[in-house]
Amino acid sequence: MSAYIIRRVWQMVPTLLGVVLLIFFLFNWIGGDPAYVLAGKISNPEQIENIRRQLGVDQPYWKQLLIFLQQILTGDFGASWSTNEKVSQIFLTRLGPSLTVLVPILVLETLIAIVIALGVAYVRGSLTDRLVMVACTVGMSISLLVYIIVGQYVFAYKLGWFPVQGWGESVSENLFVYAALPVLLGLLVGIAPNTRLYRTFILDEINQDYVRTARAKGVSENRTMLVHVLRNALIPIITNVMAYLPGLLVGAFLLERFFSIPGIGREVILAVERSDFPVIKAVTIYVAMATMVINLLADLMYKAVDPRVVLK
Amino acid sequence: MKTMARLLLAALLLGALKFALAADPNKVLHWVLPRAETGFDPARVHDYYSGSIVENIFERLVTYDYLARPSRLVPETAEAMPQVADAGRTYTFRIKPGIHFAPDPIWKGKTRELVAEDYAYTLKRFVDPALRSPWKFLLEGKVLGLDALAERAAKSGGKFDYDAKLPGLEIIDRYTLRIRLTETDYNFAHILAMPTFGAVAREVIEAYAEDTNAHPVGTGPYLLKKWVRSSKLLLEANPHYRGFTWNFQPGLEAGDQALVAAMKGKRMPQIGSIEVSVIEEDQSRWLAFQNGELDLLNMEGPLAPIALPNNQLSAELQKRKVRLNRIVDPEIMYTYWNMQDPVVGGMSKEKIALRRAMAMAYNVAEEIRVIHNGQAVAAEYLVPPGVVGHDAAFQSNIRFDPAGARALLDRFGYRKGADGWRTQPDGKPLVVRYSSRPDSQGRQFDELWAKSLESVGIRIDIHKDKFPELLKAEKLCKLQMRTGAWIADYPDGDNFLQLLYGPNTGQSNNACARIPEFDELYRKSKTLPDSPERNRLYQRMMRSMEAHTPWRLGVSRYRNMLIQPHVQGYKKHPILHAEWLYMDLEQKNGR
Repeated sequence: MSAYIIRRVWQMVPTLLGVVLLIFFLFNWIGGDPAYVLAGKISNPEQIENIRRQLGVDQPYWKQLLIFLQQILTGDFGASWSTNEKVSQIFLTRLGPSLTVLVPILVLETLIAIVIALGVAYVRGSLTDRLVMVACTVGMSISLLVYIIVGQYVFAYKLGWFPVQGWGESVSENLFVYAALPVLLGLLVGIAPNTRLYRTFILDEINQDYVRTARAKGVSENRTMLVHVLRNALIPIITNVMAYLPGLLVGAFLLERFFSIPGIGREVILAVERSDFPVIKAVTIYVAMATMVINLLADLMYKAVDPRVVLK
Repeated sequence: MKTMARLLLAALLLGALKFALAADPNKVLHWVLPRAETGFDPARVHDYYSGSIVENIFERLVTYDYLARPSRLVPETAEAMPQVADAGRTYTFRIKPGIHFAPDPIWKGKTRELVAEDYAYTLKRFVDPALRSPWKFLLEGKVLGLDALAERAAKSGGKFDYDAKLPGLEIIDRYTLRIRLTETDYNFAHILAMPTFGAVAREVIEAYAEDTNAHPVGTGPYLLKKWVRSSKLLLEANPHYRGFTWNFQPGLEAGDQALVAAMKGKRMPQIGSIEVSVIEEDQSRWLAFQNGELDLLNMEGPLAPIALPNNQLSAELQKRKVRLNRIVDPEIMYTYWNMQDPVVGGMSKEKIALRRAMAMAYNVAEEIRVIHNGQAVAAEYLVPPGVVGHDAAFQSNIRFDPAGARALLDRFGYRKGADGWRTQPDGKPLVVRYSSRPDSQGRQFDELWAKSLESVGIRIDIHKDKFPELLKAEKLCKLQMRTGAWIADYPDGDNFLQLLYGPNTGQSNNACARIPEFDELYRKSKTLPDSPERNRLYQRMMRSMEAHTPWRLGVSRYRNMLIQPHVQGYKKHPILHAEWLYMDLEQKNGR
């Protein structure tokens, strides 16, 4: 197991280097010169040159790349070019609000989707199954933006059940007051596709010989579904859930903007609008690293869930 | 003796408290920023929304009268308006004694008095290369000795000598600052009235050098109590602010008399705290305002027609006694052609005719209806309404006239080829490249300009690029045609006319225009204060601009401020960003 983990960690190095090169060249050739934005309404060539010098974008590419690698190794991406706030501080303060919304969405949507998927898979082909699938298809066809606009108008403004927008001081206030509607809307969007997907995973298992054998041996339906079927369906479900996890680092941009949640998603968009390279590269690197680590964790979890899995 | 001293101290404390008590801590104003702020170091930040906070924390030597229109300068920390001598080259300001900075830990429980040296330090900061102030251009080449100081710093590896004595920044005594300029500038006091020139204390800036954006300490009416970046701010009335009695004179505009009646004689500021929320989405701001979570709202964007059908308050808002205060922003939107471009630039009659025809093909009324949802007026003059030098009677010669445009093109040799598109007089294909940002408004302008030019037979090539790249190309005179906007830094026509001054090419003159006649008139206008003589020069410059057509004037946009019924004394000022100091709130149950 240790050898496997070491090998996988070692394999991350070239992947990360690839990401570093990609982000570096994309920013330098496509990202635009930030000096012209930072210079303000009226600037002259000397001022532009002074800004470029201070940002370090006047350095040869190899030197800039070296500094970038140094930043990754030290974890110090410097300060935002437009606000002067430390990049580490941006992550520390903005990640909390994003997670307050996204973790409940991820946990609840996974649990709810699994329960519904188990139910409809069990009665597959029935009217209930077909109705749920139609509802899921309709739900999936509507964009998150529509859910947000309508949900904010109806539930927050017209019915007054939730605040229209805002963010408070305490975790409990944020979780139960301000994040409640964004979480609800996130669930409405997320449950439908996951239910369909998990139903497929479960149906694949239900049709397996071992299920028939279990039933023939007189194992109860509950035990068959919850212990045998679900356990085997968990591997693709875990893969799906794990794929979502790196997304937590970039937040839910639309929810954060509409509900004025000071999360990392809003910050990333602001950074892109302002050509704020230190923030953009930090986010990209963190997401890449998180993706690789989570993939490794997923593989380890397969082994935990199903001892037959062999890690090579 | 000790008792006397205690009594004196008590009397002083009571005096200070009297001003502090004017602001009622129960009065909380709920304000909104539609874009995230970037910080509060006046010399560093350049976005409008950070400026609105800076304006209330720091004080300038001069500011604007709240009700006077067009805007009129009045003293802020200065005792009186500056003595202007030497044909607008020397400005002498005397600061009111007894003004103190807000408390800060670096002063260990005490505060410090504002002195002339603070303004000298504040001005020097703008040219410090290490600061890379986006407002440097306002002082560049203006104050005697300041540029040389910046150059020395640049040569010595960035070490800026803040202790250097400059001929242009002379400290006469503790409270008197004399500023000597390199040349006549009657607008210099306007420049110093910008929020960015609010006085900072050197020891505060040096103590928080790592992040001056996060530690604003000024002498203004409010101080920053709490800041959750890009989300929320809490400002409280500065207990050391000296206050004043509301005594502004009504202007001629409707509502001024009632506003004066409601506010006259009140000790200011009245509002104890300001809660500022950053709400970026139009719908969220609109619903929050309707829910009573915001006290004022600038109604802009696609939702404006809902709140203001036919440019009137909706019946629902009227029923709720919401008020509307509407001004034309001191800005102009315009489309320029690069005067150095081989296809559309140049001063030959053919090139002028081409630009004129394109200008005549463009329908500003359609721009107002489609792009601005009716929330704009056509700009007829280079100087927008509300800005000194504006001529409300002026009628632009360039009108929407596609038939006239086609005739003009025919006359100057831009004939249609076999493919139906016009060619250049020498027979080469004519393709005009319009540049814009890849956003929704950019696309709307693309479509409108494409429709306009194609209607007269000119083929258009739409070029999309990121904002920084467009700016870069613009400064290098590499774009052919683009739509831009300019909002007043200060309310004087000079701030707009300089946009076409030849030597400003590569800086603010995006058309890269060098029109000798215009430049000569501009130079002459710079030597004059606001006067009928200067206004006549402005009119001639406007006609010169039309004659050479480096620009097509577009619109000036409305600012629609929706006001909740309990807000008193509010009137949108065209230049001031946030008027909290002049307002009051009627106490409501449950607020």
